Amino acid sequence: MPTWEEFKPFIVTGLALGGVYALSGVGTVVLYRATGVLNLAFGAVGAMGAFIAWSLIDKGTVPDGVAFLLCILFGGVVTLVYGLLFGPPLAGRDPLVKATASLGLALILLGAMSWIWSDKARSLNLPTSTHTFEVGGVLVNWTQVIAFALGVAVTIGTGAFLRYTKLGTAMRAMASDREITATLGVPVRRVEAVAWLFSGLLSGASGLLLANLIGLDAATLTFLFISSLAATLIARLQSIVVTLIAAIVVGLVNALITPIFSISQYRDMAPFVLATIALLWMSRKREISFTRGAG
Amino acid sequence: MAGVSTAPARARGGLRIGAGDGVRVAVIVALFVFCFVGLPPLLSAYWIDVSTSVAIYSVVALGLNLLMGRVGMVSLGQIAVLALGAWIGARFLFGTGLPFPVVLLIDGLLTMVLGTLIGLPALRLTGLYLALITLMLAGAISVVLAATNFPNGGGGFKGYTDTLQGSANVRRPDIATSDPAYFRYTLVCMALMFALALWHVRAKPGRAWAAIRQSEPAALAAGVNMTLYKLWAFALASFMTGVAGALLAAQVNHLYTFQFRAIDSILLLAVVLMGGIYSLWGAIVAGAFMKLLPALLDNWGLPADLLTILFGVGILQVLLTAPGGVAQQFPRDMARLGGAIARLFKRGEPAREAAK
Repeated sequence: MPTWEEFKPFIVTGLALGGVYALSGVGTVVLYRATGVLNLAFGAVGAMGAFIAWSLIDKGTVPDGVAFLLCILFGGVVTLVYGLLFGPPLAGRDPLVKATASLGLALILLGAMSWIWSDKARSLNLPTSTHTFEVGGVLVNWTQVIAFALGVAVTIGTGAFLRYTKLGTAMRAMASDREITATLGVPVRRVEAVAWLFSGLLSGASGLLLANLIGLDAATLTFLFISSLAATLIARLQSIVVTLIAAIVVGLVNALITPIFSISQYRDMAPFVLATIALLWMSRKREISFTRGAG
Repeated sequence: MAGVSTAPARARGGLRIGAGDGVRVAVIVALFVFCFVGLPPLLSAYWIDVSTSVAIYSVVALGLNLLMGRVGMVSLGQIAVLALGAWIGARFLFGTGLPFPVVLLIDGLLTMVLGTLIGLPALRLTGLYLALITLMLAGAISVVLAATNFPNGGGGFKGYTDTLQGSANVRRPDIATSDPAYFRYTLVCMALMFALALWHVRAKPGRAWAAIRQSEPAALAAGVNMTLYKLWAFALASFMTGVAGALLAAQVNHLYTFQFRAIDSILLLAVVLMGGIYSLWGAIVAGAFMKLLPALLDNWGLPADLLTILFGVGILQVLLTAPGGVAQQFPRDMARLGGAIARLFKRGEPAREAAK
């Protein structure tokens, strides 16, 4: 067993990773609750945004800051356009069909990425990654701080937004029943568009952060989203606070296994194992559910 | 998939032979004989290899086709199950001297047991959660496989060694060591798997699955043992995928983790949807989409990424407009085309009658 000293740096990595997982998780849950769509292309959108930022910086046509902003904007725009195009025709379908359809978007983006940016080692560095400070003998860089802080801040902000604003109330109402909400005079399409845009912006942001923390690779970034999906599953796609907690636990467990050599190479299993156990535990009492997909 | 339930409910007829079945059987037998006898001499070694892949992936697609089209369950981890099957197959082929068909059977059964374990949550979880849990388990399987590697003739439980002697080929059946012979061998296995699927669809399990897909409460009320039949579907799909895994191990000789990418599970889902989930023919179309199209594109010097994009568009198109996929759309389009041509020829006739 490694000593406490060896574990310490991985607490920082784990918290940063957990923060990004929380960002993706909150983006996924908000969209799912408002529109009933589990967007499985979330990771691919963020990855493509990061690639675009890399290209812009590589060519040197725009300042770095603008490139990072464009990455986040790209996430928002692509997700919004997908939502506007395919949201309405699929609105009445099973959640499973909606989730499957988003895999179509994921494939389109993955194909485009591998076509435009062929597999080659790249790195994307936020300026904050080079600024470091020390806490208790562990070197921390500002990107890690931003990742964790943003994860917590977005969760709290979104929670407040859903609770206290009119739009947030409308979103919560739509999570309960889309038809009745529409009957009450809520502009359903517009509220959904806001949810798509918000979720898309978060996908851009988490893509940018992950490209920094993990590395710029299309497949890795796309499928890291599955790890963050584990956190949302533990929260049953409902609670964003539980998503945050689960995301941080998943990130921490994932990172803290690294120094334990005997199981180190299996550390990426952590999210999946945790999510599977959580799902089985939560469904232990239910025999058969008649609600399709929702519960 | 409850939303796309426009499936033909042909299951009611049981195993009785209908009027159109004679023609259908003749067509199937003729196709099989052509592929078995006629195809290998016509093709170069490269295309025989591609055809073998198509046959193997048709079986994988068949498993997912049954799950999605018949029972309405989506698995996002079939390629991981295939990798598992390939691992078990390679391990047995290296570690034992058992005859090849016996290994196929053992592999199928072992994968079936593991697949059923994956399927256990299916009993309690509804559609979306089931799909996600298969995604999670597929992720877990690929992490384990990346850490253990595929057997390559080494010792121990893993059967993996990174020394030079560990580059032995996975052995093939004695009667089918050459590529054309192995293609024929695969073809026979594939035919057996399709026969197994057809029997299931037409017999009692198929009727139970149809009831579950249409409405779970109604199926329950009608006395269908939902637990049993959902698990059965998972077990059957895993069995087929396991057999396909062993066939794949012997086809490619050397197994590597990069042959089973995470994206492949999504691509498989795309081709199965595009092929058509309400017909077993769809599985063959899916196999061709998965393995023949990339080879053709490669041959024409086009990037394979185009295909990924095309499959993405395909998923959206199938879900929005054509839930039956190619297997349903193609005959319908042909009939429409035939009708249009017939009308073209008949156009003159009413005029002539009027002239009389």
